[in-house]
Amino acid sequence: MAILEVNNLYKSFGKTEVLKGVNFSMEQGEVLSIIGSSGSGKTTLLRCLNALEVPTSGQIIVGGDVVYDSVVQKKPPKEDQRRWQLSCGLVFQSFNLFPQYSALDNVMLAPSLLAKERPDYKANKKQIHEELLEQAQALLNRVGLSEKMNNYPCELSGGQQQRVAIARALALSPKVLFFDEPTSALDPELTFEVLKVIRELAETNMTMVIVTHEMNFAKEVSDRVIFMDEGLVLEDGSPEEVLVNPKNERTRAFLGNFQK
Amino acid sequence: MSFQTVFQSLTEGFGLNCLIFAVTLITAIPLGLLVSFGSMSKFRPFKFLERISTSKILRAISKFAPIRWITRTFVWVIRGTPLMLQIFVVLYAPGLLFEMPLRSRETAVLIAFAVNYAAYFSEIFRGGIEGIPRGQHEACQVLGMTKAQAFFRVVLPQVVKRIIPPMGNEIITLVKDTSLARVVAVTEIIMCAERFTKQGLITPLFSTGIYFLVFNGVLTLFFGWLEKKLDYYKG
Repeated sequence: MAILEVNNLYKSFGKTEVLKGVNFSMEQGEVLSIIGSSGSGKTTLLRCLNALEVPTSGQIIVGGDVVYDSVVQKKPPKEDQRRWQLSCGLVFQSFNLFPQYSALDNVMLAPSLLAKERPDYKANKKQIHEELLEQAQALLNRVGLSEKMNNYPCELSGGQQQRVAIARALALSPKVLFFDEPTSALDPELTFEVLKVIRELAETNMTMVIVTHEMNFAKEVSDRVIFMDEGLVLEDGSPEEVLVNPKNERTRAFLGNFQK
Repeated sequence: MSFQTVFQSLTEGFGLNCLIFAVTLITAIPLGLLVSFGSMSKFRPFKFLERISTSKILRAISKFAPIRWITRTFVWVIRGTPLMLQIFVVLYAPGLLFEMPLRSRETAVLIAFAVNYAAYFSEIFRGGIEGIPRGQHEACQVLGMTKAQAFFRVVLPQVVKRIIPPMGNEIITLVKDTSLARVVAVTEIIMCAERFTKQGLITPLFSTGIYFLVFNGVLTLFFGWLEKKLDYYKG
């Protein structure tokens, strides 16, 4: 069964049509890279899949749950939308860490707020907090930041901030983790450390969708690559098929820019 | 007249200034926050017209945002008229218009101050809240936080840090404005001092400045300390 299914997704901003019927699906544990030039709709697609934008029409299924279906309703009710957002994780291009919290608190904030809704919260408050703390420490350890847990975002490099952001997204155990150009704001050296973390995540069978301009990374880490152009999926296949032997003229032209 | 008498009288008067100051702060801050929400309200009851019609008039009606309009008008009126006049209005209008005169002049002063400062604070809050990058809200959203959680746990702490300088300004102005209570014969410090002036003693009037200076000195130190305390992070 597909863990993520996108059917005929359309999105317009006013009169500008950005997504013109996007279709794809992916299996548990798959790593999918989305490539394409700026303005091709990659980021809008990711924002629609994370309920940051309301699509104009279409259907989105995450882990078997229909989280969005324009035939049923234009916009899902708040509670459903929240559940949808909890089932997905998103790592932003500009990190968007909370500046007033330490790295550890950034990771812990959302899970501890969520824990308050558990029926047994009052009774096991201490134990739950203890567990969340351990989980957060383990996550920061996993992204190689055990030394920096108590530092504030302003004291961290861009690469470290992005790794905290990845840990923060993982803390809610999303079914699918989305990355929106996670390394675009970083220099090559910092890019390397972030990509290393993503690579390690890929090995743990995490389902991931990565919008990226790092072609070599996409080739190496993904199971599948999608090429988007003008709001449509033009090519969808293995990295080999899409990046090395693209069928489409437009894909060839786009990839040609990277070989110069 | 002994120094003791003057000192006691002025200090008593300044106690009233401090009371007005404290009550205004305690009431105007939450009230101002409420007003700032109003002035940012996106509630548009006729928004649907925008989608179904191309007529210019109907499209104009669709822009109607009652809550925002009312609060912004309120802020305009309050900021656009003198506080002194507002004190008179609060004191006399209920009696003249509804035959329900306000018994206490102090209450009138407190109401006028709370409303006036709420209007000013609301604009500072609005600036602070609107200045928080959209990415912060989006990060909260994708982490499944409710709107209230996002506001109180993520946005508000950052707003507090950003608005300290303008709030410091406004609060220091408030300290000095409290002497306006004098216009409705509330015996705050300046009014107390004027009693001595009428007896031919001008020094007490001039010395009231010391009270304000000391009070504002302490406030300045406090805001400096607060700013430093929140300096542990940037953004």
